[in-house]
Amino acid sequence: MKKKSRPANSVPPDSTPPSSPAQPLQARRAEMVPLLVKSIKDYAILLLDKEGKVLTWNAGAERIKGWKANEIIGQHFSRFYPPEDIARGKAEEELRTARDEGRFEDEGWRVRKDGSRFWANVIVTALRDENGQLLGYGKITRDLTERREAEEKIRKQSQEILEMATVPIVQAWEGIVLVPLVGMLDSQRTQQLMERLLHRVTETNSPIALLDITGVPTVDTQTAQHLIETISAVRLLGAEVILTGVRPVIAQTLVHLGIDLSNVLTRSSLAAGLRTALETLNLQVAAKQ
Amino acid sequence: MSDISVIRVRDLLMVTLPSDPDDATVSALQHQVLEAMQKREPKGVVLDISAVETLDSFFARTVAETAQMVRLMGGRTIIAGMRPAVAITATQIGLTLGKIETALDVDRALEMVARGDGNIGGQK
Amino acid sequence: MTAVSQGEIQIATESDILLARRAVREAATQVGFGATDVTRIVTAASELARNTFLYAGRGTMHWTRCELHGREGLELKFVDKGPGIPDISLALQEGYSTGKGLGMGLPGAKRLMDDMDIQSAPGHGTTITVKKWRKT
Ligand SMILES: Nc1ncnc2c1ncn2[C@@H]1O[C@H](COP(=O)(O)OP(=O)(O)OP(=O)(O)O)[C@@H](O)[C@H]1O
Ligand SMILES: [Mg+2]
Repeated sequence: MKKKSRPANSVPPDSTPPSSPAQPLQARRAEMVPLLVKSIKDYAILLLDKEGKVLTWNAGAERIKGWKANEIIGQHFSRFYPPEDIARGKAEEELRTARDEGRFEDEGWRVRKDGSRFWANVIVTALRDENGQLLGYGKITRDLTERREAEEKIRKQSQEILEMATVPIVQAWEGIVLVPLVGMLDSQRTQQLMERLLHRVTETNSPIALLDITGVPTVDTQTAQHLIETISAVRLLGAEVILTGVRPVIAQTLVHLGIDLSNVLTRSSLAAGLRTALETLNLQVAAKQ
Repeated sequence: MSDISVIRVRDLLMVTLPSDPDDATVSALQHQVLEAMQKREPKGVVLDISAVETLDSFFARTVAETAQMVRLMGGRTIIAGMRPAVAITATQIGLTLGKIETALDVDRALEMVARGDGNIGGQK
Repeated sequence: MTAVSQGEIQIATESDILLARRAVREAATQVGFGATDVTRIVTAASELARNTFLYAGRGTMHWTRCELHGREGLELKFVDKGPGIPDISLALQEGYSTGKGLGMGLPGAKRLMDDMDIQSAPGHGTTITVKKWRKT
């Protein structure tokens, strides 16, 4: 038999000649494909008609998007888009691209039945018959929210590491420098920070440095070690460090890890630390006469 | 005998160290300070190390020992003006100066002694 | 322009430790290290030179400007024909000393530098090589 020419992206016709001796299983292949599609849970696989109304719905679609088949079949697939995308006519544009180019792929936010959003990878394929006549569209959607969150986390962490390099060292008061630490403390950042802090303490002749760890998400043994080293170095210069922003979780972690900060002046909040610093300096002024 | 100057300011000994003393000079420091402690019975010793560029384990040990001896003779020792690079290196190498007090500069060290209290920056 | 790229200091007396420090300070500054790194390198050199003097009696320090993957650095090599170190990993332990020291010298120098290599065997002397690379 001869194949008719057809658009590149249409569904290939059954390549098994019907005349071949049919094994029982092979004969039932046509029934099996929809069963497969229906039961796949990791991908939402659906058919859309030429206008974009939902024709079929599988287990993956229900799991990812939340609607049951009877709730969504017959509805326009723009239901899956956030309002701002609907306003831009994004759904229609996807179908147009799929129709003109055979295929459309996208990564973006989609909406579940309950209104929550997920990060989706979407492929829309135009389905045509042997004569090239458009029948409708196939749409495959994957939920990549977890992957996106992981990437986002990594991006945020590297951003934080960058920020550490530019942590400002602020002259909070005459004789008091303030370092608001943000993000995780690794060895290299801590060393850079230590250098800048020590120079600042010397240049400004400040007897007190407030090291605020409110913006530090967690403290592990290594971070604590870096803090302790910084504090020792500042003391060698002749200044004192007050560690501020020691939140309850941080206090718990420090004690559970067995990190001894008993030699270090610590305060729960920056405000409390500043008060202590001012008191210390006032005492000095008062005694000076 | 050495590049170390030991002078008496009020009831204190002011000891000024050169930028890069050799071992003999560092050893002489201990001797000179203890002699002066005995002769003039000052309240304490201010070691001005603002010029010092290298503080290795030998130097640090000598300073820490000297401070201990001064304490036995009834005085206190304050180290003044350590440079940031020296403090970072000393911390990294793991040197401790024991219980020695520190001050940002000589002025503040003198204030501390005059007030008779611990240092603001304090190993008390 | 004609920057010297290597040199040598004999270590035979206590005051040679000072000469070694001075040579290293000059070399490290020439390579372009920042003030804190210069202090780190000079302090490490001081520890190693003193060990050479104390434990081997005499020896030599060679310094060389070097390059690795486009990064400039400084290499210091301390060579002596003294008694050698029987147990290198023990000698590298903080607090281990056969003298009256605190046992901070070797482990401290290792922390201050980027790289340390110790070749030593009892009766065959000791060669300690340390390197530091300039940051970017
Ligand atoms: N060049 C050397 N030849 C032989 N033994 C050495 C040499 N260098 C170091 N050692 C041995 O290694 C030990 C540890 O050296 P390290 O410098 O860490 O401590 P230290 O010199 O004893 O004390 P510190 O350096 O704190 O004053 C020394 O006590 C010595 O036994
Ligand atoms: Mg040593």
